[in-house]
Amino acid sequence: MTSLLRYQFINYLRTYKYVPPFSIFVLCLVVNYTFIPNPILDSYSFTAIILFFLMGWFTVTLFHAEDEGQKVITTLHAKSRTQYNLGIFMICVLIGLFLSCISVIYPTLIGAFGEKPRFIHQLLGFLSHFSLSVLAIALSAIFTRELVKNKQNTWWGILGILIVSVVIATLKETILQIKGLIWLLPPVRLSLEMMGSEDSIATIPNIFYWRFVWIFVYSSLVVLLFFLLSNRKRR
Amino acid sequence: MNTIMEIQNISKQYRDKKIIENATFSICANQIIALVGKNGSGKSTLLKIIVELVDADSGSIVKHRQSLKIGYVPEVTPSHILFTPEEYLYHMGSIRGMAKKQLQQKINNLLELFHLEEARNIQIVNFSKGMKQKVMIMQAMLEDTDLLILDEPLSGLDPKAQRDLEETLSVLKDKGLSIVLTCHETKLLQHLVDTVLVIHNNKILQANSLNNNDLPKNKLMFEISSMKLLDNLLPLLEIQQQSLLNNGCHKVIAVIKTEDTDQVLLDLLQKKSSIKQLSPINQKEEQFYTHF
Repeated sequence: MTSLLRYQFINYLRTYKYVPPFSIFVLCLVVNYTFIPNPILDSYSFTAIILFFLMGWFTVTLFHAEDEGQKVITTLHAKSRTQYNLGIFMICVLIGLFLSCISVIYPTLIGAFGEKPRFIHQLLGFLSHFSLSVLAIALSAIFTRELVKNKQNTWWGILGILIVSVVIATLKETILQIKGLIWLLPPVRLSLEMMGSEDSIATIPNIFYWRFVWIFVYSSLVVLLFFLLSNRKRR
Repeated sequence: MNTIMEIQNISKQYRDKKIIENATFSICANQIIALVGKNGSGKSTLLKIIVELVDADSGSIVKHRQSLKIGYVPEVTPSHILFTPEEYLYHMGSIRGMAKKQLQQKINNLLELFHLEEARNIQIVNFSKGMKQKVMIMQAMLEDTDLLILDEPLSGLDPKAQRDLEETLSVLKDKGLSIVLTCHETKLLQHLVDTVLVIHNNKILQANSLNNNDLPKNKLMFEISSMKLLDNLLPLLEIQQQSLLNNGCHKVIAVIKTEDTDQVLLDLLQKKSSIKQLSPINQKEEQFYTHF
């Protein structure tokens, strides 16, 4: 598995397909913290949403980093399609983890906030970035070539699902009227709600942890669906 | 012959469309099999089933060796491999779980076998299509492969690259590998392949050998002043085409048995006929190419 991860990562680096999303990420981070002081949780919430969209970009380019023919060859050497896809998911998550850490550490280092962020600010900041990254990876993977034949459908699909996920976060009241629907929709709203807390927050309520857990569980279920559909496609 | 794999009653359909129906054949050691058929006849699907990339709806594949190693070269040659052959093969071997030392040794052997030692540090993306195809076959042979599956190996290669690759396949055969390939290239089929399996209407129709080039008949093209002069030869000639030329002569294309050829030629020359062409024909071969 380590060899597969190493190969997929080096191959991705050599494609340079990560340059556009990474540049936009750096640009957003720099521009967002140009003027100081900034509110802590609000700023983190904004960069988490940016990362949410950019992780969709990273995910597609990672899944499409190899030629179609080479993908078949690598899958054969890896001896399993699940193993191959798992490798890509792991690299996506590692990129999400790295960028989440940068998003939290960078403004702290340059003193971009009005007050010095406490540990709970940073923990909430990290969890919101990382949970939304993982959610974006899971949702985007469904529209990659592994499951969707047409490349155009991939980009429209991913853009659509990510935008809809954010839009429905603002339509919570309407959606709550349809029983059960709220559990089906991507839980971006949970992160936004939590990050809407005041900077003066003293402790992280237990419910917050459960909400983050739900975002991770929801993402895992989508990834599971990806693997089910992918293995079904083989037949 | 020593059978290494048996394909038994394999069937496959996609969305109610039959692709392969009850495909049954055996692959022997040191044998080259060509799967031929029209586009969309199911050749590639059958290869993918053999390498377990696609599941068959029914039937089974029986391996007669405990650890039969199969290498696969897909139809589409990857055009953007961002590694040198050495790096690429090293990565592929590592992913397979091969030990570093053994892998490095194997890479050196393969680079030598395929005459790519001097290109070992050049990025594959800069290779010609023929060289890329060689690298593809190399990756399929990283472990001591028993069976090599090649999907359209010569497709898109220029004649020189085709000859080059044909030679390479011949060397591999001599080294004891079994090869199953799909192809359209007639030259390859004539010189290299032991057995030809034709897929027609989803079924494997026939298994012909092209290597025993028995030449039962000849094709003869000649010009003669009058068709009446041929009366005594008609029992020996199978006239396929005749036409009247501007000079009043008749142009005739006929098929004759090899054993009768000398006699017919002598008779025609005595009748002041002009022989334009005489060529051996292989009926099996002609019949076979109608499947493309």
